[in-house]
Amino acid sequence: MAGPPSKPNPTQPAKGKDSHALLQPVLIHTTPVAQAGRYLHLLVLLGLFASQFSSLVEDPVRTLQNTLPLVAVIQVTYASACLPVAGSQATRAARKLRPGEKRKQEHMGPNPYVALFLSLVLTTLVTPAVHLAFVLFGAPFLTHIPQNLLLSAHLSLLALFPLFYAHGVDSGAWRAIGGAMAPFDETFGGCAGALLGAWLGAIPIPLDWDREWQKWPITIVCGLYAGYALGKVLGGSVLLGKRMVTNAVKED
Amino acid sequence: MAPSSRQRSTPSSEYKAIAGQNARAKHAKEAEDATMKDAGIPADKAESKALELQRKALEARRKTEYGRRWWWTVGFWTWMLCIHAAGILFFTSGFLLTRLVLDEKSSCAVPPVDLPSSWNGRGTVGGGCWHPKSFDRAVVVVIDALRYDFTVPVQDNAPFHNAFPFLHETAVRSPEHAVLRPFIADPPTTTLQRLKGLTTGTLPTFIDAGSNFAGTAIDEDNLLMRMKDAGKRIVHLGDDTWLSLFPGYFEANISHAYDSFNVWDLHTVDNGVIEHLAPLLEDRQKGSWDLLIGHLLGVDHAGHRYGPDHAAMTAKLQQMDEFIRDITSRIDEDTLLVVMGDHGMDSKGDHGGESDDEVEAALWMYSKRPFFGRTEPEHIQPPATAKIRPVNQIDLVPTLALLLGIPIPYNNLGGPIEEAFAGKQGNAWQNLAAVSRITAAGIRRYQGSYFAARGVESSAPNHKTDIWNTAEHSWGTKSWRDAYRSFREYQHDTLSVCKGLWARFDVPKMVTGITIMGVALVFLLVYSSRGEDDDFAAAEDSELDLVEKKLELRDFQSDSSPSYKTRHKSIVVAALVGAVPGAVAGATLSFLTGLDDLSYAGAAAALASVLAALASMLGAGKRVADILPTSVWGWLSVIFTVSQSVGFASNSYTIWEDSILLFFLTTFGVVSAVASFSIPSARDRTLGVYHSVVFIVLGRVASFSKLCREEQMPYCTSTYYASASSSTSAVWQLVIPFAVALMLPAVIKSFLVPPRSWEGLGPTWIGTIYRTGLFMAATYWVLDAADNSNWFPSLSSHALKSIGVYLAQLTLALAFVAGTTAFIWAPPLVSVFTAASPTGAKQLTILGYGNAHGARYLLLPLNILGACILLSKPMGGGALAIVFWQIMSLMEIVDLNSLSGEAIGPVMLGLIGNFGYFKTGHQAALSSIQWDSAFIPLFSIRYPWSPVVVALNTFAGQIIAVAALPLIALWKVGPKRKGVLESTSRALGALVSFFAVESMATMAWAGHLRRHLMLYRVFSPRFMMGAAVLLTVDLVGILVALTGVKANTLSVSEVFGWVD
Repeated sequence: MAGPPSKPNPTQPAKGKDSHALLQPVLIHTTPVAQAGRYLHLLVLLGLFASQFSSLVEDPVRTLQNTLPLVAVIQVTYASACLPVAGSQATRAARKLRPGEKRKQEHMGPNPYVALFLSLVLTTLVTPAVHLAFVLFGAPFLTHIPQNLLLSAHLSLLALFPLFYAHGVDSGAWRAIGGAMAPFDETFGGCAGALLGAWLGAIPIPLDWDREWQKWPITIVCGLYAGYALGKVLGGSVLLGKRMVTNAVKED
Repeated sequence: MAPSSRQRSTPSSEYKAIAGQNARAKHAKEAEDATMKDAGIPADKAESKALELQRKALEARRKTEYGRRWWWTVGFWTWMLCIHAAGILFFTSGFLLTRLVLDEKSSCAVPPVDLPSSWNGRGTVGGGCWHPKSFDRAVVVVIDALRYDFTVPVQDNAPFHNAFPFLHETAVRSPEHAVLRPFIADPPTTTLQRLKGLTTGTLPTFIDAGSNFAGTAIDEDNLLMRMKDAGKRIVHLGDDTWLSLFPGYFEANISHAYDSFNVWDLHTVDNGVIEHLAPLLEDRQKGSWDLLIGHLLGVDHAGHRYGPDHAAMTAKLQQMDEFIRDITSRIDEDTLLVVMGDHGMDSKGDHGGESDDEVEAALWMYSKRPFFGRTEPEHIQPPATAKIRPVNQIDLVPTLALLLGIPIPYNNLGGPIEEAFAGKQGNAWQNLAAVSRITAAGIRRYQGSYFAARGVESSAPNHKTDIWNTAEHSWGTKSWRDAYRSFREYQHDTLSVCKGLWARFDVPKMVTGITIMGVALVFLLVYSSRGEDDDFAAAEDSELDLVEKKLELRDFQSDSSPSYKTRHKSIVVAALVGAVPGAVAGATLSFLTGLDDLSYAGAAAALASVLAALASMLGAGKRVADILPTSVWGWLSVIFTVSQSVGFASNSYTIWEDSILLFFLTTFGVVSAVASFSIPSARDRTLGVYHSVVFIVLGRVASFSKLCREEQMPYCTSTYYASASSSTSAVWQLVIPFAVALMLPAVIKSFLVPPRSWEGLGPTWIGTIYRTGLFMAATYWVLDAADNSNWFPSLSSHALKSIGVYLAQLTLALAFVAGTTAFIWAPPLVSVFTAASPTGAKQLTILGYGNAHGARYLLLPLNILGACILLSKPMGGGALAIVFWQIMSLMEIVDLNSLSGEAIGPVMLGLIGNFGYFKTGHQAALSSIQWDSAFIPLFSIRYPWSPVVVALNTFAGQIIAVAALPLIALWKVGPKRKGVLESTSRALGALVSFFAVESMATMAWAGHLRRHLMLYRVFSPRFMMGAAVLLTVDLVGILVALTGVKANTLSVSEVFGWVD
């Protein structure tokens, strides 16, 4: 008697049509502007965070609210300057360039402005879901709603907006991202780092040190920004192209 | 089950279809299924008969063999239980405070210091032994749990405030007649411990805390013993704890004792005391007693039952007010009246720990003739809060002794209470100096004897001798005021030295205990690690099986014996063999090193036994390196277990354990959702994500049920009871058990229908009988609320209570007696029928085949869940139902991601179990034990049932988790799986490891932080919880999990044949 059907059979090959198995890392444009931008982006983001920290401790809601548009502008600028827009990379990956062949200008590429707009819309739409996720982890349900909502907005902007821009709503790509099967790159690394950082940010909250910065959600914001920066750097460099989960039928 | 669903879908693991013509079916029939006789196989009759006989013999042999294997497994776990008990015992004996009890008694003729002056009748009981006596008689009224703020005016409308104004009134109006002061109890604040302190004048030791259920006689010198030896007569009325402490002390006929643990009954004890006390105060009865003790329990019981914030508390306090007024009008001028609380109560009316509210009781002394004085004018007003000018409870001992003219008990550490000796003008400094000198001298004498008995030189620091010398000097020069101050300082100083001294820990024993736990943990980790030959469970190949079966049928002797079959036997044998030389070596060593403590032989035996067992297991091919995690799941198990155990080093993480558990549960759900994305089959992928999300959401929903501990304030809101200072449920909460009764069976059904296991006994038992039981439990809580809030004034309270108790008993009988019977006798939850296959041949179909083990076993944890839901109060019942749903989702996640061999399943069960503990209104604090649950199915305390009921209430979460543990090995497993017992035992090993890590960590931290301010508030209770949970899990593992698996395998194998 074979085991229940749910058990993945190691001998069964992964189905070819599974696009997540083919998902390629998101590569930063090779233009000098883009290459400089990827580092400048981090500097600006962390600089903003550092400059606002004391105000964050003082009044988290106001600070998170005031910085939200700034962060949005930073992320939009970064995406448009450095990241390939959704759809542009798939065609590139599909066509291998012969040696000596010059890359053609992609006339049929998607419109980056539309993509930016749609990504922002998606980021806004996903924010309540992120809020819900925080509540499920034990965040206050009925109180601290502005804090939670703003925190979720920041998380969505940092972790999810670049992914929306780079992948659109490609279900295969999102299945790969959701299943941690996507290859590391700046976007996925940043997302994973941000989530892990926010998770770790909960650790100091219960301590009885009576510090102002222990109040909700400051530590989470710190973890989020630190994790995003670290994840983005690592994902774009040493981990580039590597995968957490190597294939779809990995048995564990 | 609707027949239509039986016919759809292709053959899968959920049901098994066998075509009649198929040759395989022939073998299958021979080997496995007696019910298939009519499948129509043409075979030579004689040959088939011989084969049949042989098959039966083989089956019988396998059954006996299985029984033997099972007993070895049980032996293995019993041994583990003993090792854990030994480790805990060792640590406890070194950790919990120990104090040497001296046999010396004070005597009237031998004062501790030469007496200064002469008075009429000096040195006799009639005139006063060591000091002139002031009163002939005393009436001591103990109002259990009388917190200080109940007796002073407070500007609010709380039901427990301003209801008992008499004490404060008199102290303000006539300070020469009455004194009211805060009365600080030493923890543990349990009545038994307090009575010991109040009569001996010494500090309690923590280890006594556990004996509250059965007190034992005090043989230490105490007030009552001094009274009795002086020929005085003592009368006792009320709480029968006194009787167990002082057997044979009280005057027969006029003493009346009442049951002390019946917390549901607010009035019997009080009415009895009130009824019998007044007549004794009449003139003609005066000669019949010298000390009259009245111990009232109503206030304490009202606190336990309703919490202080309830009209019943107001009524009770008003009754006390009236009662004390009445006594004061009756007593004469030579009688001292003392009214006191033995401890306070926390905001929910419970006690036992050392929070401020629990230790702050009230003391009121009254004399008909002007007697009391104040040395400072501002002392006339009673303190507004218990933080101002408190007296220690033990101070009452020398005070009463000196006032009544009897010797101060030998072991006393308390000092005289100022007001009683300061004279009416408050300037009797010579008298104060005299009483403090005699008290201090007694303490000094006791210190000398104590150090002599311990065989050590007095370790008293020099400055203490200095204080004594200064005091004696002042005494000699008749500077009474200075002498009084110095003697008092000496007494205070000695008291704090003694507190430090008896907090002295036996570090070698603590280390030994932790070592035993550590070695046992390494062993258990290796045991439950996944070795190379442990994947026998996955090898479920029917072809291979058949070949094997055929071979066995032909040749009886070639029954190969895989290593898992003999594992437990060889471990147990090695453990027993190792224990003997260990014991000898330990005994020798303890003699050689001069420790002279034979208990170390036991420790060495335990250690050697574990090491021998470990060696035997390593010899059989296991490796220590196997315990290292190899997958994300392995790492996750390690992170969850270790990070929490490290966190127990911090009081904050210990205090917020409930929130951390939710955080981990949600984290697991997220990881499993992410992992589910990798499942190839779209249906299973969706199911995996679905169950992960359900798992997370359920955890968050259950987390709304909480009972905050004091340290969590103000960041926490209790929802478990109607209000933060109540211990009854709100009306809306009564809906929860009904919702559980409606929905839980439906939820269970939703897990049984997909694997086609909603067959056999399932629909009847779960859908009807079990649901009825749940409705009965829900009805019980309605009756309870009706009784508490007096909804039906026409019905007597007794009637409601009786109906409730019998209903609860019936529910428990349904869950345990009927449930166990059904579980043992039920056939597997499968359904067999024959239908024509598409090719026209007859086809035999078994529905529920793929979950034959799991579905049937599920009945057992369900029954236990039912009992726990009844015993856990409405909110807790709802939380437990949700927790069980989480467990079912966990089983699906484990199955969908093939995690049954990983440690994560058991570790998550451990986390869920602890989560359930916190969600059923418990905290890692002694005061959160819901003693009142003992009266759900009983009218009074009955052994052994009452402790069992309280244990079921307290550890419901963990008990359900252990009971459900075998599902990890059994869920979605068909009847042909081999080594089911060993898989279960290995999973149990992982679960016990989880609790053993926690237990060891809390032990280590409590030992390490033994000087921490929060030791008794945070670390020590968490250690006790960890130890109790570990032993409970071990025990339930044997009694429920292993026993249940045996009954299950017997039933499944009777139908499908024995596989190994």
